Formats: sequence, structure tokens, C-alpha cells
Amino acid sequence: MSVTPHPHPVPLTRTTSPMGFSRGGIALAVLSGAAALLPLVTADSFLIHSAIMVLFFAYMATSWNFLCGYVGQLSLGHAMFSGVGGYVSVLLFTTYGVSPWIGMLVGGVVAAALSVLIGYPTFRLKGPYFALTTIAFAEIVRIWVENTDSFLGFRIKGAEGLVVPGVGGDSFWAFQFSGKAPYYYIILAMLALAILATMVMERSKLGYCLKAIRGDRDAAEALGISPTRYTQAAFAISAFMTALGGSFYAQFFRYINPERNMGLELSIDMALMSIIGGQGTPFGPLVGALLLMPLGEISRGYLGGQFLGLHLVIYGVVLMITVLYFPKGLIAPITALANRLFGRGGRP
Amino acid sequence: MNAPLLSVEAISKRFGGLQAVKDLSFRLEEGEILGLLGPNGAGKTTAFNMIAGFFRPDEGRVLLAGRNVAGLKPWDICKAGIGRTFQLSKPFGDLSVVENLMVGGFARSSDRRRIRTKAEEIAVFLGLEAKAETEAHNLTAFDRRKLELGRALSTEPRLLLMDEVVAGATPSEAVEMVALVRRVRERGVSVLIVEHVMKVIMALSDRVLVMDRGALIADGRPQEVVTSPDVLKAYFGERYVVPRA
Repeated sequence: MSVTPHPHPVPLTRTTSPMGFSRGGIALAVLSGAAALLPLVTADSFLIHSAIMVLFFAYMATSWNFLCGYVGQLSLGHAMFSGVGGYVSVLLFTTYGVSPWIGMLVGGVVAAALSVLIGYPTFRLKGPYFALTTIAFAEIVRIWVENTDSFLGFRIKGAEGLVVPGVGGDSFWAFQFSGKAPYYYIILAMLALAILATMVMERSKLGYCLKAIRGDRDAAEALGISPTRYTQAAFAISAFMTALGGSFYAQFFRYINPERNMGLELSIDMALMSIIGGQGTPFGPLVGALLLMPLGEISRGYLGGQFLGLHLVIYGVVLMITVLYFPKGLIAPITALANRLFGRGGRP
Repeated sequence: MNAPLLSVEAISKRFGGLQAVKDLSFRLEEGEILGLLGPNGAGKTTAFNMIAGFFRPDEGRVLLAGRNVAGLKPWDICKAGIGRTFQLSKPFGDLSVVENLMVGGFARSSDRRRIRTKAEEIAVFLGLEAKAETEAHNLTAFDRRKLELGRALSTEPRLLLMDEVVAGATPSEAVEMVALVRRVRERGVSVLIVEHVMKVIMALSDRVLVMDRGALIADGRPQEVVTSPDVLKAYFGERYVVPRA
């Protein structure tokens, strides 16, 4: 696996993704740098809060995309890993006083282990059967949490959810800050790392194997690829990443409950943003989140309590338009435009 | 002579009430191009799939250089040194030609740069260097077929199994493919080829096997085999007509 942006000794330099690694790396650095300026130019709390939510969903969609976008399977159960990450870090903090930073890593490992249990029986399934099974698993876990008051001595408190007790003031160790800007930088860094991880994976053996499995499973097998092995590896990494996001979400709101942190809606959001933005590309999920989150916020904000769920209708309409006109996601026209602006044109 | 590269020993496969392959045995020597012929339903593809690991034989052994590989999974068969092509070419459509060829390279190495260099060499070998960066779904049917062959080569096999390499090809493409397969052998890869088109088998094979109803009915040099009464009977029925080929 080569991680360094390498100079090619050969003239054939077009790389795997629509955006090549080095160009993707530049794009990532520029975008992160620009985004890092936001808290410096505005103190508007609502604006920063909304930006955090955009970055959070971009991060979650990127985590989803790490597996599903590259291997071409639709998981609608990823929220389960978010919930696992959130509950593990919150419970470790409230029960033993373990720093949520450590708790979030533990949650990631638990989620990765859970992904192995779920992956083994489900990877043989294809298309809608896989999607339905992932929904079933996630809903089983959610309903179980909703109806469980304590488990192995941990107080889960069922549907009521858990409140993260405040330690007062800013504490990096306790993952608690009085202002919103620190959360903004944390989720921005998490997103940048997730996109970087995706770019590295895309060019590694794992990336080629996943894309081969997506292309044709039988052909991939004949080329020495065990589909279960590589899909499982990516599933575990994806679950780990999703769990970290779930921990962040719980720390940010200092509250966790099964509905918000592991509900079906979260799973659907992750998948929709990736698909609309462009699954199987490092930046697609970010594009999807940048479009859909503000749309959702606006429809909720301006229409208030009327038309509950209108944002889902809007997502649906955007999805239909995307699938019809940009089947590779909105990243495709953006990449084409970038290629035209910065030279090194499109297809040969 | 040493042990043969491939030795198939009495493999059988039954699907429900259908005995697709029964007690099939043959050998393939290192450096040989062996043709496998037979009318539709003779069990050629089933035999092929058992060697390639897509079916597990009910009985029998498949020895690659003395090691039994029967019942191994396709990816382990690949790593053991047997590459295969599919009857319907299955390119990874949204990957470029070179990327398609790189996928196979990962079976042998994790050094991305070495794999890429190798993939580019194979693209040149196939005559696809001008299309190296073209996405595979934009290739012509024949280029896809060549890519299919190249992708199998990229796993650095000792033995290449080819299923119907010229199906649907024009006569001039068929000639090109025959030349390509010869050059594959020159790279040191032995070839087992399943084919319907007589002309191709005759031009290409050092030796020909003919199957009918799951069993071997002839084994010999191409010219001898196609004039054998058993073979003519299998292909054309009892009151056979003299073939033109």
C-alpha cells in the first residue's frame, strides 16, 4: 500500500478516482483550511451549530461510503454503530469516569466487533435483501435498547436516554466545551481524516478489491479476491468510523437516546447523502451533506411544526432528480468542472 | 518427463438427476495448449468450473503440479496458479483498462507501483495501450474479451483456463485472438481452452480432448481427433455427414 503521493515514473498518470490522490489531497487541504476560518469570521451560534451538523452528517456519510459506496451494497443499518459508539462512550464516562476520547475508541472497537457478527451472515445477500437485513439488525438493537433499563450493570435507561453530566466550563479531557467552536474544529478534523482515509483506501489493495467486488463478484473471486474477507475488513473500518461519529454526537448534545442516535432516519440520511453526492468517491458524501442538510434545516426551520417530515419528501425529490440526471452523484459534474478549470482534462 | 502441470483424476459432478461429468481424467503438460471440445451439454463447462474452483467435484482430484486443488475456493485456486476467463467477459466496467489489470496483480503482490508497471506491460501485450485509461464499459466487445484474458494473466498463472475465447468474434478478430493465445504460451503459461469453433481449436491446440455426455470420448492430435468416428457421431449423430472443416 502506498500512502505517499507518488511521482509516476510512467506517463499514464490518471488515477482511480475522478479526483486523483494528489489533487484530492490538495482539494482536501484547501477545503479544510477554508472551513477552519468559519469560527473566526462569525460568532453566530446558530450558523456554527448548523455548520457542525453539516460536517457531522458529512462525516457519517463518509463513514457509510467507506464500505457501501465502494463495495456497492446498500446498508440501512449503520445508525446501529452510531448508537453503539455513543452509548459506550457515555456509559464509560458516567459509570467509570473514563474520558470520552478513550470511550469513543472503545465504542469504535465494539462496533467493529459487532460488524463482524452481522457481516458474516449478511454478505451473501445481495441488493434489497442485504438492505432489509441491515434494517432488521439495526431495529432489533434499537428496540432492545429502548426497552432495556440496565445491562451488565450499566444503566441504559431505555427510551428515556442518558444525559451526560456537565463538568462545568471547558474540559478537553471530558470532551465538554462551553462554546461551539471547539466542537466545530473536532468534527472538521474527524471529517478531514475520514476523507483522507477514504482516499488512501481507494488506492490500496483494499480499494481495488472492493471495486472489483462491486464490478463483478465472480470475476473478483477468479482474480484471487475473497469477497467476504475484504468486504468484512471494510465493514469493520466503516463501523468503527461511524461509532466515533456517534460518540461525537452524544458529546455535542450531551444527551443520547435510541431514537436520535440509532434510529432508521439516521441510517437513511447517511445513505441518501452519499448516493446523492456520489458514492464511491472521497468527496461525494460531503457534497451530499452540503446540499441536503441546509435543505432539511430550512424546511424544518421555516415550516416549524407543520408538515412534519417534509424534509424527507424534499430529500426524496432531490434523490429522484440526481438519479435521473447525475447517476454518479452530484460530484460528477463538479469534478468535470474542476477538470476544466484546472486543466488536465477529463476522459482521454 | 516430470509430473504433468495439471492432472485431472476421475472427477465427477452430478446436479440432481443429471450426471454432468463422470469419471473425467486427463493430463496437461507444462507449456501445452490443450483444447477441450464437445457438443452442447457435454459437460465441458462443468469440468472447467470444477478445475477453476467454482464447483466442488463430487469425487476425484485435480492436481496442479502434484498438489490437490479440488474443492478449493476460486480465490485460492487463483493463488495456487490457475487463472481463468469467463465465457461472457466480465470487466469491471467503471474501472479503466489498467485498473482492471491491476486488480489481478494484487493477488501476487502489494507493491502498488510494481503492479501498475506490470499492468501497463500487459496492456501493451494485449495491444490495448492506447486505451489503457479508457473505462472498461466503453470498450468494444472484442477489446473486453482481450481485457478478460489480460486480467487473468495479471494474476501470473501457470495455467490459464479459457472459456470460449472467440464466441461472437469476427473472423479477423478470431485470427488475432489465436495469435494472442499463442503469445500467452510463449510467456510460459500453459493453456486449457474450451471452444466451440473448430477452426480455432485446430489452429491452436497441440492436443484435443473431446467430451460427450460427461465423459471423454477422444484424446489426441487435432487432425486425428476430428476424423474419429466417435467424435463425428457425438457431433452429428449416427448418420453423420462429413464435416467441411
